[in-house]
Amino acid sequence: MTERKRLMIIDDDPDFVAGIRAILDGAGYETDVAYNPKDGFDALKAKAHDLLLLDIMMGRGAEGVMMARKIRKDPALKDLPILIITGIREQIAFMFPGQAVHPNFVPLNELIEKPVEPDLLLERVRALLQAAEARGQPVS
Amino acid sequence: MEGTARILVIDDEEIVLDSCTEILRGEGYQLATASDGTRGLALLKEFRPDVVVVDLKMPGLSGFDVLERIRSIDATVVAIVITGYATVSSAVEAMKRGAYDFLPKPFTPEEFRLIIRRGVEKRTLVFETIALRRERDLLREHFSSIVSHELKAPLAAIQQNVYVLEAQLAQTATPDQRERLGRVKTRMADLIQMVDTWRRGVSVDLDAIKARQVPVSVRVPIDKAVESALVYATRKAVTIDVSVPDPAPQVRGDQGTLTEALVNILGNAVKFSREGGRIEVTAEVRDDDVRIAVADHGVGIAAEDLPHVFDAFYTQPGAAGERGSGLGLAVSRRIVEAHSGTILVQSTPGQGSTFVIVLPALDDDGPGEGRREAEPLAASAKDGPR
Repeated sequence: MTERKRLMIIDDDPDFVAGIRAILDGAGYETDVAYNPKDGFDALKAKAHDLLLLDIMMGRGAEGVMMARKIRKDPALKDLPILIITGIREQIAFMFPGQAVHPNFVPLNELIEKPVEPDLLLERVRALLQAAEARGQPVS
Repeated sequence: MEGTARILVIDDEEIVLDSCTEILRGEGYQLATASDGTRGLALLKEFRPDVVVVDLKMPGLSGFDVLERIRSIDATVVAIVITGYATVSSAVEAMKRGAYDFLPKPFTPEEFRLIIRRGVEKRTLVFETIALRRERDLLREHFSSIVSHELKAPLAAIQQNVYVLEAQLAQTATPDQRERLGRVKTRMADLIQMVDTWRRGVSVDLDAIKARQVPVSVRVPIDKAVESALVYATRKAVTIDVSVPDPAPQVRGDQGTLTEALVNILGNAVKFSREGGRIEVTAEVRDDDVRIAVADHGVGIAAEDLPHVFDAFYTQPGAAGERGSGLGLAVSRRIVEAHSGTILVQSTPGQGSTFVIVLPALDDDGPGEGRREAEPLAASAKDGPR
């Protein structure tokens, strides 16, 4: 790898983070972690990242969704690839009762369910990074 | 009910109002009286009574009218009618219009006290019922989030670390340690899947299923379900024969949940098949219905158990002692019903069972606007009162 890709993980479950971080570190990625959306956003603003792995259900509810929307509105971060890792796929329906579940409910690139097999995780991360590079991104 | 119970008496005879007031004095109620229906209804909003006693025969607004208004304003208010002409028909009529009980004139003070006490109790029960129902709905609604956070999240965190351990120890662990780790991983996966199934059982979102319905060829969910069941079938040397006409019948449905409904049924067919058994999956159009049948030649279901197979948490060990969550068929039924369909079962103990999903066939001639209009109506009529 010519330059190590820097990934940001935002998830409020330290044990789960330890699990995916070990996989990503083992594959040669640089990883930063924030355990709440606010610290995560600050960290993203402070340093350039190539990809964000984002949990949905944090704090008092779907704070991950708010986070993703905020990122998409931020001029410096709007093109950052986001991989959503959620405990439950249908939580998205649960969060928006009565609304049709649309895969683009929030502009995100991928969504996978916890727990995630190491090979699947690495494959998705790789695919998102490649897609971003093909688009002439990221900002780093 | 908060504080003391409030009683409103509506009667055009002053002597009745006075004696009612007298009888209830010292019983710990708050009392209000009205000499006609119009004033009574005005007090309904101001005084907010728990129990209303209404004379049936009054000048102006009749007791029956007052009853109906009460019911439309606040159906939880307990209405008791007093009537001078204590015929059965007037009492029945009053009950039909929502009265809880009736008291013929003349009545003794003890009779009046008793009926008021029962009315107040009824009002308390009404509130408790409403509160319990709300609690039940809330629980159902939040079960998904509770389970996901309290159970699924820690399980996922454990499993994620097991994955890492497995990879880290791949070179150094002894075969025995690797096998042990494999067991941990498998049991964790089972546990996670069971949590998911339970959650699904409670939170199948019928509205979402209805909203997602598009024309679907039944071939797709059948093939997907068979593919998923083959893993277990192969392990038991069970063969699955599929017979679907070409072109395959179409239904208006949601492919994902239809597949799920079939996976549960097919999974059961495998579970209750003996080693080396055979399962037939067929689809056909009969009248205006598409019938998807899953027939096994396994252990069958006893006649007394048959009515319960679709109940949540009903479970029987499989032919090889397999355990289930007891929710598969309950989920299947909810899914099929959300498709305006029904699900049937026939079984002969020792010879096998056949489950049939019956769904309205999609008309070939165009998009079928009429049908699309009609279906939600039928569904809402069924879902309406509970």
